[in-house]
Amino acid sequence: MEYQNLFTQVQVVAPPHHGVSIDPYDERERFGEPKLYHLFGRLGNAQLGPIYLGRLGLASLFFGIIAIQIMGWNMLASVNWSPIQFVRQLFWLSLDPPLPKHGLSLFMPLNEGGWWMMAGFFLTVSILLWWARMYRRAIALGMGTHIAWGFLAAIWLYLVLGFIRPIMMGSWSEAVPFGVFSHLDWTAAFSLRYGNLFYNPFHMLSIVFLYGSALLFAMHGATILAVSRFGGEREIEQIVDRGTASERAALFWRWTMGFNATMESIHRWAWWFAVLTPLVGGIGILLTGTVVDNWYLWAVKHNVAPSYPYVFGTPLPDPASSGFIPPAPPISIGVKP
Amino acid sequence: MAMLSFERKYRVRGGTLVGGDLFDFWVGPFYVGFFGVTTVFFAFLGTALILWGASQGPTWNPWQINIAPPDISYGLGFAPLLKGGLWQLITVCALGAFFSWALREIEICRKLGMGLHVPFAYLMAVFAYFTLVIIRPVLMGAWGHGFPYGILSHLDWVSNTGYQYLHFHYNPAHMIAVTLFFTTTFALVLHGGLVLSSTNPQKGQFVKTPEHEDTFFRDAIGYSIGTLGIHRLGLFLALAAVFWSAVCIVISGPFWTRGWPEWWGWWLNLPIWR
Amino acid sequence: MKQLRKFLMLPALLVSILVLSGCERPPIEAVQHGFRGTGMDLIYNPRILAEQAENNAVPVSYGAAPADGPKAGAVYKNVKVLNNLSVAQFGTFMASMTSWVAPEQGCTYCHNPANFADDSLYTKQVARNMILMTQRVNTQWQDHVAQTGVTCYTCHRGNNIPQQVWFKEPKQQNGNGLLGDKDGQNTPVAASGYSSLPNDYFAQYLSKSSNIRVAGNTALPTGNKHSIHETEATYALMMHFSKSLGVNCTYCHNSRNFSSWEESPPQRARAWYAIRMAQDINNNYMEPITGLFPEHRLGPTGDVAKANCGTCHQGAYKPLYGVSMLSDYPFLTGPAKPAMKAKDPAPAAKSVAMK
Repeated sequence: MEYQNLFTQVQVVAPPHHGVSIDPYDERERFGEPKLYHLFGRLGNAQLGPIYLGRLGLASLFFGIIAIQIMGWNMLASVNWSPIQFVRQLFWLSLDPPLPKHGLSLFMPLNEGGWWMMAGFFLTVSILLWWARMYRRAIALGMGTHIAWGFLAAIWLYLVLGFIRPIMMGSWSEAVPFGVFSHLDWTAAFSLRYGNLFYNPFHMLSIVFLYGSALLFAMHGATILAVSRFGGEREIEQIVDRGTASERAALFWRWTMGFNATMESIHRWAWWFAVLTPLVGGIGILLTGTVVDNWYLWAVKHNVAPSYPYVFGTPLPDPASSGFIPPAPPISIGVKP
Repeated sequence: MAMLSFERKYRVRGGTLVGGDLFDFWVGPFYVGFFGVTTVFFAFLGTALILWGASQGPTWNPWQINIAPPDISYGLGFAPLLKGGLWQLITVCALGAFFSWALREIEICRKLGMGLHVPFAYLMAVFAYFTLVIIRPVLMGAWGHGFPYGILSHLDWVSNTGYQYLHFHYNPAHMIAVTLFFTTTFALVLHGGLVLSSTNPQKGQFVKTPEHEDTFFRDAIGYSIGTLGIHRLGLFLALAAVFWSAVCIVISGPFWTRGWPEWWGWWLNLPIWR
Repeated sequence: MKQLRKFLMLPALLVSILVLSGCERPPIEAVQHGFRGTGMDLIYNPRILAEQAENNAVPVSYGAAPADGPKAGAVYKNVKVLNNLSVAQFGTFMASMTSWVAPEQGCTYCHNPANFADDSLYTKQVARNMILMTQRVNTQWQDHVAQTGVTCYTCHRGNNIPQQVWFKEPKQQNGNGLLGDKDGQNTPVAASGYSSLPNDYFAQYLSKSSNIRVAGNTALPTGNKHSIHETEATYALMMHFSKSLGVNCTYCHNSRNFSSWEESPPQRARAWYAIRMAQDINNNYMEPITGLFPEHRLGPTGDVAKANCGTCHQGAYKPLYGVSMLSDYPFLTGPAKPAMKAKDPAPAAKSVAMK
C-alpha cells in the first residue's frame, strides 16, 4: 500500500525556533528553552516550547488553580478525606450549585452552594483572562483576532449555562454542577424538566453545526492530506498564490458535489460551523424555561411533532384525576408496640 | 460551461474502477462515472420510495413524515411493504447510494492524482450508518431495531433507545465520542481561525507566515502542531468521534442490557478498594 | 520504539480485558413495547434471566386446605387475626409461613415452644401485623396487585427479612461542617442506580408524598416552579423503579413526552397506585410497629425497615412473574374491587391526537 502521509517517516532536524520577534518586553516573557521530541515529530511539529507567560496568562492560571483547588478539596472532603475513595469515586464526586431555596442571593452557607459560587467566580475570571491573552497574542504578532472571537462563542455558552440563564430564572440552582457524572445528570434532568430538548429547534441547529463541524474537519483534513504530495498543507502560500494542490482539492469537491470552496473560504466555513455550534446552542439554552417551558408541547403547537398509533388498546387516563379515593388508615386491633 | 478558470487541463480520461470510458464524462460540474449512474439510480429510487411511503401515511408535513422499520416480531426476515418492508427497501437503496458515492469519490481521486483520504473518511460515516441499521439489528436478531426515517421520529427513537439503558450519558464509549466531537469542534475553530488570522492580519500588516502561526500557538500554549499536523489531528479527531459513536450504539443491547451507570461496577468493585 | 510498543502491549491488554469483562454478550431477547420504530423495547439478557429464575419461582403448592370444621379462634388461645380460619387452614398457613419466613429457625422463630399462645417473642406480634398488611394490600390495593395479590413469600422468599428493604440514611460523615456536603447525592450506590443522582429519596416519596411530576403541561411558562434539583430526585426514583422491576424507562413511558398519559403504556397507571400503596404500607403498618423490633433489626438512625418497589418485585416486572399464590390462601384476600371508571370517555385509539 502506498504511503498515506499519516505519520512522518523521516524528520528533518533543525535548531528550534524561538518565535517571530515581537517587542522586546514581550520577548522576555517567552519562557523555557525549546526542545525537540521525536515522538511529537511523527504527528506534527517536534518542538515543545517556548511558552509566553505574560501577566494575563499568569493571572488566568492563578485564578484557575484556585477554582480547581476549591472543587478538589470539596470533593476530597466529601469522601471523608480518604484518598483511596477519592480516586475510586472521582467521576461521581461533585461541587453542586446552591440549593433552590437560596434563589439569587450572593451569600449562602459554604456547604449549600457557597463554595460553588466561589469556584464559579474564579473559573469565570480565569477564562476571561485567558480570552484576553488569546486576543493580545494575536495583536502582538500583527495577526487577525479570529481565534479570540471564536473562543468568545464558547464563553457565551459557558456564561449562559452558569450565569445568564440562572439569573433570568431567578435561581443559581439552575446552573451546572462541577463534576464528571453530575454535569451529565444535570444535562438529563434539564431535558426531563423542560419537555425533551430534542424538540428545541436551537438544540437541533446546534447539533447540525456540531456534526457539521466533524464532517467539515474530516473533509478538510482528508482533502489536505490527499493533496499534501503537492504541498497542500502550506495553506497560506496556496491562498495568496494558488497552486496545483488547491486546484485539485477544489476540483475534487466540485466534481463530487457540484460546488467547492477555495483554500481560504474553507477556513471560513470551518470557523463559522465551529462558532455556530455553541452560539446557537447557547440561545437554545437561554430560551428554555424563560420563553418555553415544555419543548415537546411547543413543537406540537407548531405542527412539528409526528404522531404514532397507540398499540395498547385504549390509553388509561391520569389516575390523579380519576376520582381515586385512598383507603382510610386501618383501625388498630390493639397491636401496640 | 460551469468550469473553473483552471479546470480544463484537469479533465482527462482515466482513473475509473469500472466501466472504462463509457461513463467517464461530466454533467455540468458533476463527474458522472459508472458509480455516478448507480448513485443516481439508488438515490432516485430511495427518494421515490420515501415519497410513496409518505403518501400512504397521515401527513405531508416534512417534519412529521415517518417511515418506520418493521415490528421486532419479523426478526431478520422481510416484512410486508406497508408494515416495515418499505423501510427495508429504502435502507437497501441508501446503502447502495452511499457505497456508490464512495466508489465515485475514489474514481475522482484517482483521476486527480490525489490520495484516497476523503473516500476513506466518508466510508467511516457510512460505517456508522451501517452499524445502526445492519450490524446492531443483526446482533439483536431483528431489523426492527433500526432507526425510523423521519426528521423528528428519528429523534424519538434516539430518546427511547437511550432511555432503554436508563441514563445513556454513562455509556463510556458515548462519553469518549462526545468528548471527541467537542474536541473536533474546538480544533476546527482554532485551525480555521489561525489560517484566517494569518491571511487577514491587522490593518496595514502583510499576510503572515507559518512561522507566525507556530509562534502564536507556542506563545499561547507552548506547542504548535504545525500545518501538516493539524490536518492529521483534525481528520483523526473527526473520524474517531464517528468511530466511537458507532461503538457506543453497537454495544448497547448486544453487549449490555442493563442501565449504563451500572456498567461502572467493575471499577467500583476492584479488589483494591471494594 | 519497538521496546516501547512491547512495553505498552501488556498493560493495554490487561486494561482491555478488565474493561471488557464488565460486558455481556449476544444473543439477547427484545420485547417490543410500543409502535415499531419508536425504540420502546425491553432488552433482556437470557443468561441473567436464567440466574434470576430460581428466586422468582413460586413454592410448590399443596392445594387449599379445607375450610370446614371448627374455627381456629374457638380452638386456639390468643388468636386475634385469623379467628375465622378452619383449624386445617390455620395449621397449613402456619406451616407455610414458617417455610416462607423462617425455614431454618422453624416454629420457635415466633412461638414460645412451651406455650404457643403467648406473645413473648416480638416476631409473633410483627407477624400478626404483617398478616393484616397482606390482607390490606390484597383487598384495598387491587388497582396495583389485581387478583394476583401477595403472600408473605412475595417479600420474604424464605428470609427473615426481605432482601430489599430501606432505612433512613444517617447524616453524612464528611470532613467538617464547612466542606464537602454531598447533600444525599454524588455517591455510586444501588439506590441511585450507581449514578450521581440523589440516593436518599425513599422517605420523601414512599413515606411522605412529595411531588413527583416536574415537567410543565403547557408549552409556554405558566408558573411551573419545579427545579432541576427536584427533577434529579424524580429521576432517581425512576431509576429505582427500573432496577426493581428489571425494566427500562420505556416500560411505562414514551420518553419523547414523559408526562403524557395518552402516550404512556398502561403500566404507568399501575405504578401510580404502587407509590400510594407503598406509602400506605410504610406509614400504617411499618412505622407503627417500630417499637417491637430489637436494635439489630432497626436502621442506623433507629428507624424500622420499610418497603420500596424492590421489596416485592426483586428484579421482576411482576413479582414471581405474575403467578398468584392466593388460590391456596383465600383468607389473605377479599372480593374483587370494581375497576376504576374513567371520568371522560377514552380518546380514539387510532392515533394519538396531536392537538
